[in-house]
Amino acid sequence: MENANLKREIMPNFNDFIDQLKSNLVDHARQFSDDVKDEFVEDGKAFAEEAKEDLKRWTQLMAEDKLTRDDFEFLVKGKKDIAKMEALKQKGLAKARLDKFKNALLGTVVNSAFSVFGDHS
Amino acid sequence: MNFLSSNSRIGLYALLMMYVTVSCSSMQAAFSEQAYQQAVNLKVESLNMMNEATQLYELHEEKVQVLKIELQKAYEYAKSRPNNSESMRQWEIMIDPDGSLLGGFISMWKERGQISSTMVEQSKGNIEEGFDIIMELESGKRKP
Repeated sequence: MENANLKREIMPNFNDFIDQLKSNLVDHARQFSDDVKDEFVEDGKAFAEEAKEDLKRWTQLMAEDKLTRDDFEFLVKGKKDIAKMEALKQKGLAKARLDKFKNALLGTVVNSAFSVFGDHS
Repeated sequence: MNFLSSNSRIGLYALLMMYVTVSCSSMQAAFSEQAYQQAVNLKVESLNMMNEATQLYELHEEKVQVLKIELQKAYEYAKSRPNNSESMRQWEIMIDPDGSLLGGFISMWKERGQISSTMVEQSKGNIEEGFDIIMELESGKRKP
């Protein structure tokens, strides 16, 4: 009888905790995924625009004999190397954001737990 | 009431321990002021060195060698830090003597003897961008 009463008292608290945690986690995940997605799209667009401008300029300079064919090839390959570095940057920043999310997750779990299980006496 | 409170605390501590364990494993190295400053300094020194490439390589060979050693140090430092593979790879691309950024530019200068001012200016654009990307990644890492 005592165990049944105890169970009735404990379960609502854990259920409250899970509900609150779920709600907080969804909010966090939504915020992070929207921010990350928007920034990646903007960075990608900016990079592509800049690369296009560089290629136009180099083509023009080659037409004017101010750059040799070898120069042009070197610069274009350089731009491809830059693209690789940019991709590495995005990958690294995504990992850093994931670390930040994990830390925020820890804070959310702790806060949720304390708000439900904290000393209410 | 006391028994209930004690059970709640046990559950709470168990959850905390679990998540502390999970959160201790980072996926990315923390920000390094040394790495950032290294990139800033090498960007300035490299772009200045490139300005000399309109002159004969042999006149500047000694200074170029000094710069190459500093660039190698930056790569080795990036390589030594745990969870830092992206930064390490960025430096690798930048200094690769067979590539088309700074390492490749130095190789080209040595091979040709000197480089046209137009080519120097256009190459500086790519290399400056490369250094900026290295710094952007470093500055985007979590603060220690």
